[in-house]
Amino acid sequence: MIDETVPAALRERIASDLAPVAPLRKPWLRAATALPLAVLLLFAASTIYSLRGDAGRLGWTLTWGLSTVELALGMLLIGFALREAIPGRVWSPPALLASFGAALGAVLLITLATWRVSPTRIVHESVAYLTSVCFGYPLVAALPVILFAGLLASRAFPLRPQIAGALYGAGAGLLSDAGWRLFCDYSDPAHVLTAHLGAIVAATLLGALTGRLLRPRR
Amino acid sequence: MRARLDEAELRGWMVEYQAGRIEAFDRVYAAIASPLRRYLTALTRDASEAQDLLQEAFLQIHRSRRTYDPEQPLLPWVFAISRHVYLMSLRATRRRPLRGADDVEDVELPVPPEVEGLADRLELRAAIGRVGADRREAMLLHHLWGFSFREVGAIQGVTESAAKLRSSRGMAELRRILEGSR
Repeated sequence: MIDETVPAALRERIASDLAPVAPLRKPWLRAATALPLAVLLLFAASTIYSLRGDAGRLGWTLTWGLSTVELALGMLLIGFALREAIPGRVWSPPALLASFGAALGAVLLITLATWRVSPTRIVHESVAYLTSVCFGYPLVAALPVILFAGLLASRAFPLRPQIAGALYGAGAGLLSDAGWRLFCDYSDPAHVLTAHLGAIVAATLLGALTGRLLRPRR
Repeated sequence: MRARLDEAELRGWMVEYQAGRIEAFDRVYAAIASPLRRYLTALTRDASEAQDLLQEAFLQIHRSRRTYDPEQPLLPWVFAISRHVYLMSLRATRRRPLRGADDVEDVELPVPPEVEGLADRLELRAAIGRVGADRREAMLLHHLWGFSFREVGAIQGVTESAAKLRSSRGMAELRRILEGSR
């Protein structure tokens, strides 16, 4: 073993700030602290407004079942983000593509499965209004999760804060959509893939921005 | 190099350092300062810049010491932070002209044992300095410091197979440069 002595100035700086620290818990355990927020989002829209009108036709599996799958994927992405925030544990580009691809694929599959059983279209005059509602509300609902996950990630040391941010942003978008789709009556893919998916994409971008803003400074 | 650094012992010191013992920091520094300096020299191709970055890297390691998971190997975590410090410094000095490939003969670039017999050390160091940056880094991380390709990938943010490819292309490039200089 090669031994080196610590330069005096460096040792003095380290010694002046050497409070004991507890190692961060595993990323998955830390992500689990966002679960209460996720569950709140899952029930919020359908409780505050109402459960979607075609819930009876869709049945439990295509309503709560698929939303639970979306919630689980959202939580998984937040866990991935918190792992990404640990030095030496960053995800490779294919793993990142697979993560974002899984989020997109889940939304597509959920949309098509819902549309197949209960095709509900929006009347032409309401398209713009409903698109703005189903884009804006879920995006606003995702903000607390983005902020919470951003604070969790910034307590670690993300070497690529925008990527970590995009991951928890996408996770927050999925969590928010999991609840919002239980209220939105329209399964038309044109509506879902613009408004709902648009909100998830916007949450991803907001997450990347949050990651950048909360990045550790030197 | 990696074999000489006892991972279990290093982890133990790191845990004590996290618990606030300055003597444990001394031990961690004594064990990893030299390989880190050589790594930073390989990245910067500038010994004095590497020395400055080494201090900064240790300060960053100190600030983020809570992020080290004692169940994971220490060196990939340490090298990843040091790489980040280098990249931040590169970003800050982007407008400054980079050192040319011809300036590197005087820099103490580390030489992997696999290629030691191919030429004399000075010639080897110069040739290593001419290997593309990412390939050189992957090659040295694997062949000199003994990181697995999975760990190299985690440090560089690429897949295990991409890290392997970079390293093998680095070795091939190094051999080509050495053959071309004769």
